[in-house]
Amino acid sequence: MDSNSRNRRRPIPTRGVAALRPRAVFVLGVAALLLTGTFLSTRVLRAQTQVRIGVKATGTMKSPLLLARFRGYGPVGSLPNQGRAIARNDFELSGVFVVADVEPVEGKPTADPSLAGTVRVEGIVEVGGGGGFFQFRGQAIDVGTGEMALERSYPFTPGTLRQTMHQFVDDVLEALTGERGIAETKMAYVKQDGRVKEIWMMDYDGENGRQVTHDHSLALSPIWAPWGSELAFTTFKRGNPDLYLFDLNKAASYPFSTRPGLNTAPNYSPDGKWIACTLSRDGNAEIYLISRDAQTAKRLTRNTVIDTSPSFSPTGREIVFTSNRTGSPQIYVMDAEGMNQRLVTMEGSYNDSPQWSPKGDKICYAARHDGIFDVIVMDANGANPIQITSNAGHNENPHWSPDGRKIVFSSSREGKRQIYMMNADGSDVLRLTSDGDCFNPSWGPRAKTRLASRS
Amino acid sequence: MRLTPRIASATLLGLAIVLAVAPGCASRKKVSTQGQLEPPPTETTTPPPPSETTPPPPPSSETGEKLSLEDAFFDFDDFSLRQDAKAALERDGKYLESNSGTKVVIEGHCDERGSVEYNLALGEKRARAAKDYLVSYGVPGNRLTTISYGKERPFDSGHDESAWSKNRRAHVVPK
Repeated sequence: MDSNSRNRRRPIPTRGVAALRPRAVFVLGVAALLLTGTFLSTRVLRAQTQVRIGVKATGTMKSPLLLARFRGYGPVGSLPNQGRAIARNDFELSGVFVVADVEPVEGKPTADPSLAGTVRVEGIVEVGGGGGFFQFRGQAIDVGTGEMALERSYPFTPGTLRQTMHQFVDDVLEALTGERGIAETKMAYVKQDGRVKEIWMMDYDGENGRQVTHDHSLALSPIWAPWGSELAFTTFKRGNPDLYLFDLNKAASYPFSTRPGLNTAPNYSPDGKWIACTLSRDGNAEIYLISRDAQTAKRLTRNTVIDTSPSFSPTGREIVFTSNRTGSPQIYVMDAEGMNQRLVTMEGSYNDSPQWSPKGDKICYAARHDGIFDVIVMDANGANPIQITSNAGHNENPHWSPDGRKIVFSSSREGKRQIYMMNADGSDVLRLTSDGDCFNPSWGPRAKTRLASRS
Repeated sequence: MRLTPRIASATLLGLAIVLAVAPGCASRKKVSTQGQLEPPPTETTTPPPPSETTPPPPPSSETGEKLSLEDAFFDFDDFSLRQDAKAALERDGKYLESNSGTKVVIEGHCDERGSVEYNLALGEKRARAAKDYLVSYGVPGNRLTTISYGKERPFDSGHDESAWSKNRRAHVVPK
């Protein structure tokens, strides 16, 4: 973390609208500069040359990205414009770039050291090798050096255009930062329709919402397996809160734990071999580890109070969870064997729904203060809690994006609960769902790499 | 015009039911009031609707005697039994004593505040607290089962204390 972000921290429960932040000022400045087309007045850009593209995993500054109008060759209709709109949104949502719209540049790229740190992206849509298929040719150019960071072709059909653009953007992110983007990821969530609550999923940008379960009951608390094709969730379809696994490839669900009492709050270990969850077969909500093959169950907590909502650290060595052993819910951490249980939240009387960040350095959770729920991000040891939502209804169920740059959450700021995403510092809030009552969002994993396998 | 005979017969039927039921209600006024699902501390006049998860039981058997099981209500984020909750459960215990064939499900419910997962655990605590109290009163444990619905099946969908106080309950339902 740099000094800028430290200065921006606001202790709980201080709330209020922050003034324009240093990063926002920079981004606005760069954007204004780019949009007016005065590329040669580069004093601001030069002053920011430490912003090497993507070098910082959780950088607080965005790099300028010049997104060319996509060209179309042959009878491709509006596909170039449609594809570009999808890619543009992806680059914006990446949290890495500030996008400016430019005209395409023909011919070989040339180096422009005055624009070091700037990326230019070009795209061409053309008719593919017959059968009505199309091809997208994408390029990402490091403007400062004139080097081609990525050049790749993608066959597609109109039906796969959206997915193709997501893949291209994630390829660009991986080529520039060494880490894949999140444009191809999906989210699971719960949507209420009347008395029925079902698991749904959607693309990370809120598109393609579709129903997953058809239990006609209460399906709750979905969580993704690390390999991305399975969800664990709680369902009442047999009358008891049971844990089921949903195989997304087969579109079928299987009972996982149907013990008497609670079978709730699932969370996979990073290696996928265990599912931490809450069982009450001992007469009281306790945290267990159950092996993914359901053969072994290990009890981790032993007391007469509520212990629930476990979330593994990315190393798998520790688990953060909620317990009301002091009389109200607070956030605790323990070793994955259940030892060394310790309170980590130092502020607030009601803290719940913890989730460990993918990089391991932070924990997000929901805190109730003055009757309002808001999302907090703190260091993994409990230090420096920062409230990142405020004055906007109840904000709950925070869940990290797989790159740790964003947080998805549910909010009642516009009436019924809907799913929103924001940057991990609370900026750039974007609503993703618009109908029903939606909550319990869970952000799915991303593919490890795609560039490594390219020809 | 075609509907008129049906409306007329429905009205007659309704009148007949009212006439038939009214004397019985009057003679059991006290029991009937006890049977209302109403949290004592609030001054609401409309009783909350019966649980939507389990349909209300039909009046039992030949005697026409109505079931009068009561719910126990709780404070926010709390599963300890208040005095009024203990009193309600004691009346349930009496009822179950004299209706030894009756088994019940105790549903734990919560108000809408807080997470799905925490409230499922809290609802479980409330249901178990009510069950334990009935067992200590003398009701055999094998006649009592528990389930938690957390905050997922509210009795009142409102967003204020009046609704919340009705939703924080151990709901005692004949099986």
